[in-house]
Amino acid sequence: MANSSVRPDSDPAWDDLLRQLRHRPAAQPRPFFYSRVQARLVAKASADKNLLPGWLRRPAYAALLGALVFSLSGDGSGSTTPNHPLPQQQQLQR
Amino acid sequence: MAYSLPLLLTGDPLAAPCLNGPAAAAEAALVAQLQQGSEAAFRTLVERYQDRIYRTVLSLLRSPEEAEDVAQEVFVEVHQTIGRFRGEAALSTWLYRLATSRALKHLRRAQAKKRFAYFTSLLGFGNEVLHDLPTHEHPLALLEGQQQLGLLLAHLARLPDQQKVAFTLRHEQELSYEEIAAVLNTTVPAVESLLFRARKTLRHHLQPHFRHG
Repeated sequence: MANSSVRPDSDPAWDDLLRQLRHRPAAQPRPFFYSRVQARLVAKASADKNLLPGWLRRPAYAALLGALVFSLSGDGSGSTTPNHPLPQQQQLQR
Repeated sequence: MAYSLPLLLTGDPLAAPCLNGPAAAAEAALVAQLQQGSEAAFRTLVERYQDRIYRTVLSLLRSPEEAEDVAQEVFVEVHQTIGRFRGEAALSTWLYRLATSRALKHLRRAQAKKRFAYFTSLLGFGNEVLHDLPTHEHPLALLEGQQQLGLLLAHLARLPDQQKVAFTLRHEQELSYEEIAAVLNTTVPAVESLLFRARKTLRHHLQPHFRHG
């Protein structure tokens, strides 16, 4: 694949540049890379185990949630609003 | 740009381009041990491939910290998905694929964050000074003052994703055309085309610097 738009006299410069790119000192991750991967795996595994959100795992919040659910789940017997009219209202209606 | 990242490649001859005989057998044994959950095998895998994966990611991200982070993610993903690897591609091909895919995803996320920051600054949501994300020039280019190399890397970062990956794998990781084709899940002629276009663009940008250099 010839590239006619590129001047042939610049080829050595281009080749030299690619050579520089190829022959740079090899970069390496910091030491103990495996230990950090391992730590990440452990952290991920424990995060996967904790399916409940953090606040739900706190007893105080859990107790509060329980109390709230209990207070809202009644059958209406504890309600202050009467289901049927008071005697005075019945008289007025008549 | 997006190239698919299937764990299982089709049975084409490019899928495992450079493995034969004892090497293939050793790799199959390693994969089998990994799939059985062997920690020793996982350690072997990490230690064998960490430099290559790190360098590949670093070539695309140009930031040692981010490259390390993404390289770790690659190995975590390998640990979690090795059970689905059936050896129809070379292990190195699969690893390069995960690495390049994750690195590009990381780049896209960073670009999206930058765009979002720009958008919010236009709307006046943030009062912080808007500035470009650090370019993370390669340390060597900075240390040795290799301006042309720095320029090449800067223009390389602006290439379309597939061209960028093909060029990096070819000229920095020195993979063969067949290996690059397997990583990108494409054909050798397609890789040749990607490399041709990448070189043409890069040379176009660098040509003036060659003349005056």
